[in-house]
Amino acid sequence: MSWRNALRNSFGEQQRFMLLLIAPAVTLLVLFQAVPIFIGGSASFRDWMLTNPKKTWVGLAQYISVLTDPAFLEIVLPNTFLFMFASVTISLAFGMALALALNRPFRAQKVVQTILLLPLMVAPVIAAIMMRWMFNDQFGIVNVVLETLGGEPRAWLVDRWSAFAIIVLTDCWLWIPWFALLLLAGLQSLPKSPFEAAAIDGTTPWRVFRHLTVPMLRPVIIVCIVIRSIDAFRTFDIVWALTGGGPARQTELFSIYAYETAFVFLDFGKGSAAAITGGLIILVVGLLLYRILDHVRKVSL
Amino acid sequence: MSAPQRGFWDSLAPGARRAFFGLVLAAVCFLFAFPVLWLMLTSLRPESGVYYVHKGLEFTLDSYKQIFSDERLVNAFINSGAIATLATFFSLLVTVSSGYMLSRFRGRIASTWFGVIYAMRCVPYITWVLPLYFVVQSYGVYDTYIGLLLPHIAVHICFFSWLMKGFFDGIDPSMEHAALIDGCTRWGAFYRVALPSAIPAISALTVLCWLFTWNEFLFAQILTGRNTPVITVVMSQFVSEMGLQWNLMSATAILALVPAFVLTLFGQKYVIQGLKI
Repeated sequence: MSWRNALRNSFGEQQRFMLLLIAPAVTLLVLFQAVPIFIGGSASFRDWMLTNPKKTWVGLAQYISVLTDPAFLEIVLPNTFLFMFASVTISLAFGMALALALNRPFRAQKVVQTILLLPLMVAPVIAAIMMRWMFNDQFGIVNVVLETLGGEPRAWLVDRWSAFAIIVLTDCWLWIPWFALLLLAGLQSLPKSPFEAAAIDGTTPWRVFRHLTVPMLRPVIIVCIVIRSIDAFRTFDIVWALTGGGPARQTELFSIYAYETAFVFLDFGKGSAAAITGGLIILVVGLLLYRILDHVRKVSL
Repeated sequence: MSAPQRGFWDSLAPGARRAFFGLVLAAVCFLFAFPVLWLMLTSLRPESGVYYVHKGLEFTLDSYKQIFSDERLVNAFINSGAIATLATFFSLLVTVSSGYMLSRFRGRIASTWFGVIYAMRCVPYITWVLPLYFVVQSYGVYDTYIGLLLPHIAVHICFFSWLMKGFFDGIDPSMEHAALIDGCTRWGAFYRVALPSAIPAISALTVLCWLFTWNEFLFAQILTGRNTPVITVVMSQFVSEMGLQWNLMSATAILALVPAFVLTLFGQKYVIQGLKI
């Protein structure tokens, strides 16, 4: 056991304890995160077809082919940003409204809160399947209701924009409660006295919201927006189970594009390049969002 | 904009105001619960009634019986449950010690590890999920329990270590120092003194981690094949394979919801606490 002796000689007792505490985490992190990152990075510079893995080094060719792919530029990227923006704004607005409504004691509060927890436990895949059934063109309840109200039944998932709207709707259903509960927790931790003072002054509810609640809640709101935007950007499962990126690859988000390129079209090099491109975009977007929102806070305070 | 609304609101009697508020909240609750209720209703209809769920009153448990006799589905449920439970247990085991180390020690090792975690946390998930397929295959564990379990443990390391550090930072270390002086070993001070005080935080993470793994899709989709079906993947294949058997589909979905529902109901307090992180 010479490595053991080496370890004993070069580190003190406390250092050995420290290393032992992190050893399992380090091992797993290296094997299942660092190694894949390295392989993915290397694959993105190679001509690596899953059918014929020659793995020839091609430099930046894969990145160029992703960035000049009209499908990526004109459909995938706009879809991804639109989805992120729509999903986050709608969920934030409704989540905030719900949080404000729940932020006063009433009898059924516990019940409402439990119902709001419901979407949080539903797997995104299940939520997608649920919506797919409700919006089924022949037997879905939505079309039944539409018909009884005198409207035209529609084939929801066949048209690009209605399919896209359903994807956004599903995401909002899943995430509005998350926003609501987080913002509610934030609201409940705010100090009471400024609100009492405003009530004595007879300030209108809108002014209280605009000039007291929002500025005081801003840190929570920023964290919510940044976390959720990054997550929304890489959404995979609901799109996969709802439309599979269809009709005709019109509702693909960037992770579906990367997955399909790698595992359906078997071009692992280009798929990796797409994944890394998207990854870099997420990093930049996350950083920018944080900067912008933080800047807004400094200016407006 | 707000003036006329306020006028309307003020013109209402307090009772009417309460009723209005209650009505809106009830509508919201209905909208959030409806998809799940609808799924439940569909799952209880016989195969012939499924196309007209809103008409007729025949109910049956046949779909559920059929699921329990389908070996692949039963296996998928067992696999999902086993993987979620094991992944939760090991994730917490691995990260509680790593978080403890980050919280209690300073110096070269601690700061390097913190830097590594921080950098890894910034690497978007999607960039290492695709190559994971090759990695897991080259380790010879593709489509096995281990092959799905280990990446599931790894995915939480950065975030959970960071959270655990936060939990331990909030716990006064002087008790551990006292225990060390009294002759306790470092390990003893860790798991006899520090660990018990972190239990509320750990419970919150347990619930969230279990739910996350049970509901996870992309990992399972990439890392498993025929031998290790898990429920989310099987369900997504359902849509194309059994596209018209919506009663079976719904029953499977409801069964997949039950464990998560029970866990959340019992752990509600912890979940809400955990969400605040």
